[in-house]
Amino acid sequence: MAVAESSPLTTHVMNTSDGVPGAKMALSLHRLDTRLMIWSMISVGTTNEDGYCPGLISREAFIPGMYKLRFETGSYWEGLGKTSFYPYVEIVFTIHYPAERFHLPLLMSSFSYSTCRGN
Amino acid sequence: MHMIIAMSPSPSPLTTHVLNTALGVPGSNMTLRLYQQQPLTTVWHRITTGTTNGDERCPGLITQEQFKPGVYKLHFETGQYWASMGQTSFYPYVEIVFTISDLGQRYHVPLLVSRFSYSTYRGS
Repeated sequence: MAVAESSPLTTHVMNTSDGVPGAKMALSLHRLDTRLMIWSMISVGTTNEDGYCPGLISREAFIPGMYKLRFETGSYWEGLGKTSFYPYVEIVFTIHYPAERFHLPLLMSSFSYSTCRGN
Repeated sequence: MHMIIAMSPSPSPLTTHVLNTALGVPGSNMTLRLYQQQPLTTVWHRITTGTTNGDERCPGLITQEQFKPGVYKLHFETGQYWASMGQTSFYPYVEIVFTISDLGQRYHVPLLVSRFSYSTYRGS
């Protein structure tokens, strides 16, 4: 039975205001096209009930370069009836060694956020 | 006794500071730029370019007159900052996009950064 290889790049959204996963948040992954100097969208998704979004990118497509994860935080908080200081959050990062695994969590409230490189 | 009060320009209603959380020191000499988004075209218009000083702050980001409701972006040259210390960084730069709605308030948008993590919050 073929098993889809999991994405080498993963994320996890946590709503630190309410102490719950950031579920149903729209997000997208982009890679910088260095010839044209524009961002190309690789995938679009929505976090699940646990705040994860599997299948961001395949191992084959994960080449060295500059990437951007964009989280639609404004829409997320609007959906909860709140305003947010941040209409969206974009995390731009550089991948030199795509054979590694990269886990980029987003811990956020409507007035703060943080991220780190995990694996 | 006379008190002579020097007339000085109003401080910027928007401020920032940068902390190097890896070393527990101010993030000094980091270049940053403030942009304002044009509401109709959504094009980013650069307002200021600055560098954090010895206290990790960058005064004079924007004047009260320029400060209108809307979407702003602070762009921090974090990659350059770490490179100047001979180190690599996971983040080539950090951009924080935020919405200003109430001009009567003061806004403080700090960046706490290491080579592999960063955080920000809305202060005042």
